[in-house]
Amino acid sequence: MHLVLIGLSHKTAPVAIREKLTFPATVQQDALTQLKRLEQIAEAVIVSTCNRTEVYAVASGEDAGVEAVIDFLCDYHDLDRHELVRYLYIITGEAVVRHLFRVVASLDSMVIGEAQILGQVKEAYDHALNAGTTARAYNKLFRQSFEVGKRVRTETAIGESAVSISYAAVELAKKVFDTLDGRTILILGAGKMSELTAKHLVCNGVTRVLVANRTLSRAEEMADRFAGEAVAYERLYEAIAEADIVISSTAATEYVVTKTDLAPAVRHRNRPLFLIDIAVPRDIDPAVNGLGSVFLYDIDDLSGVVESNLEERMTEARRAEGIIEEEIAAFFAWAESMEVVPTVTAIRAKAEVIRQMELEKAMKRLDLSDKERKVVEALTCAIVNKMLHGPTARLKKAATGADGYLYVDVARALYGLEDSEDRRGPGMFRNLINQRAREIVEKQKETGDSFGDCGA
Amino acid sequence: MLEVAFVAFWMAMALYAAATVLYAYHVATKRAALSWYATFATGAGFLLQTASIGLRSSATEGTELTGSNVLVLMAWALILVYFVLEHVIKRKVYGTLLVPSALVLMLIAQIGGLSSNVLSELTPEHAALLDNWRVGIHVALIAFANAGFLISAVSSLLYLVLERQLKARKTSKLFSRLPSLAQTDTIARRSVVWAFPAYTAGMMLGALRAIETDVQLWWADPRVVLSGLVWLAFAGYQFLRWRVGWGGRKAAYLSLAGFVLVVVLAVVARTVPSGFHIFGL
Repeated sequence: MHLVLIGLSHKTAPVAIREKLTFPATVQQDALTQLKRLEQIAEAVIVSTCNRTEVYAVASGEDAGVEAVIDFLCDYHDLDRHELVRYLYIITGEAVVRHLFRVVASLDSMVIGEAQILGQVKEAYDHALNAGTTARAYNKLFRQSFEVGKRVRTETAIGESAVSISYAAVELAKKVFDTLDGRTILILGAGKMSELTAKHLVCNGVTRVLVANRTLSRAEEMADRFAGEAVAYERLYEAIAEADIVISSTAATEYVVTKTDLAPAVRHRNRPLFLIDIAVPRDIDPAVNGLGSVFLYDIDDLSGVVESNLEERMTEARRAEGIIEEEIAAFFAWAESMEVVPTVTAIRAKAEVIRQMELEKAMKRLDLSDKERKVVEALTCAIVNKMLHGPTARLKKAATGADGYLYVDVARALYGLEDSEDRRGPGMFRNLINQRAREIVEKQKETGDSFGDCGA
Repeated sequence: MLEVAFVAFWMAMALYAAATVLYAYHVATKRAALSWYATFATGAGFLLQTASIGLRSSATEGTELTGSNVLVLMAWALILVYFVLEHVIKRKVYGTLLVPSALVLMLIAQIGGLSSNVLSELTPEHAALLDNWRVGIHVALIAFANAGFLISAVSSLLYLVLERQLKARKTSKLFSRLPSLAQTDTIARRSVVWAFPAYTAGMMLGALRAIETDVQLWWADPRVVLSGLVWLAFAGYQFLRWRVGWGGRKAAYLSLAGFVLVVVLAVVARTVPSGFHIFGL
């Protein structure tokens, strides 16, 4: 089982390349089927988002798999191979698992901790599942990766706080007002930034939008976009008195809202007033923050919030790495059991246990001389070895193919070598044998013995 | 039966202590899974406490309204009210403060060495005064009202902490764990809205009983005067909020001041020996 990953992301490729190499939902089925048809590829999943395109494959060999996938990408999108290779990252083996887990945990994202990527990878896996291009290895890997994503989300605070100015404003507003449903905002000035922030606030439940501007026509224009009301500039303080949140971004060079003018407007107010000043130079006199129930945040304060939130995400990201390490270990414990050499060893060890047990039983009933005993022992060894030689040799050969681990899987099932975690069914005797087999394997590892005392 | 009640009581305390730790851990780390155990421990503790109160009552043939028993009742009322609160607002931050408050009340009741054999020292006049259903309801109403005042005070405290952080534009870790400003304000206001009528009714029942039994100068007892002050404080709180439009910081300070009076009253009630009002002591 060789894991291969070929991809590009915002870290390695400019958007001009990324947009050429996408696999939207409509073509996924087709692309996956084509990929699966290649003889080097046993399983494939294509993750395609606006920031990354990654082809995950299980291949017969690492190099062969990599070549096949790159060829496929070039053919499918009609790209020049030499140019494309410059932007690609090629990851193989254990690192593929770590990469996928980090992607799903949103540690590899442009904005660390963003929540969408988990859903996007799930979608990609669903496409592959429907196209029938996943099997045991990727079913296990991707399902475990979703667990990783879930664990990181619930056990760390990585996606908790806002990391953009306008979201930070929304978050703070929620901290003040609990819910924004039914609240009123006043947009002062008609800047792009204030419009964006207002949009976020409206999305979060704000129902009434007032717009004030020195030129009434521009205020009306913007009010139309929000289905709000334009307010005459002279009525500014009345509008502030009505509003819960004020977003200010005028081009004025002096304070538009001063403490002396605002104080009477909020004197008899029993609900908070949240002022967001994103203008430079500032529109609102910082002294108003001293008024009761008035909370003023300027652009630097909001950046400060974003920065501290980003810092928190970074510390949370370190915790997430810890979770990922745990999950990687769990995955490889499983993957190792799917390797052919340990499987053959386990089959042989199990056979040896049975041979010894049966031999012991028979010896108790027979009264043999030393020479006779050696002959019987050699006989049992020979039978076991000859019985096992064909299947194990063929298993070793088959395991080199792209879907070799399937043979390993079947062999483990037939010989009853399931891992302890999914060992179930008619049990105690088999468990006992498995246990003894494991003990023998351990012993052999320690002593460097090849195979029991048969020497065959 | 008293032994069983005693064991149930201490187990309830242990559960509340565990719940406190779990609530705090949940708030600090935001592990949702643990918060369920916190609520569970509180609920189990509450059931045990209820059983303990019931067993003790049936062992003594009726709840003795002694000082420590009244404190236990208050803790019980507080947990009950907190449960309703948690169910309504679906937030567990308050648990980190309210469950330990109940625990402290129970600890004072148990360890504080409050004389538990008061009833045997009662004068015949006192016994006659107490022997009426009105007294039981009076105590219960005041217990619930005090629980409400405590919740209001805790919310006000949270409000002040949060407001200070918002004004200072600091977003510490604690900040992100606190509820919103509007919610703390609302809870502070609403708990007084519920507690105040209960307190009024409780006081009226007490006064009625005093008049009924012809207690001389009952209104001059320092405890009665103090409880009148508590009543005035929260009446003022309501008036200023609804009529004058006070809100935010000023209202929070007022609610805290009212609760300080409640505490002063409780301490005076248990330490000043004079007066007709026994407060179970």
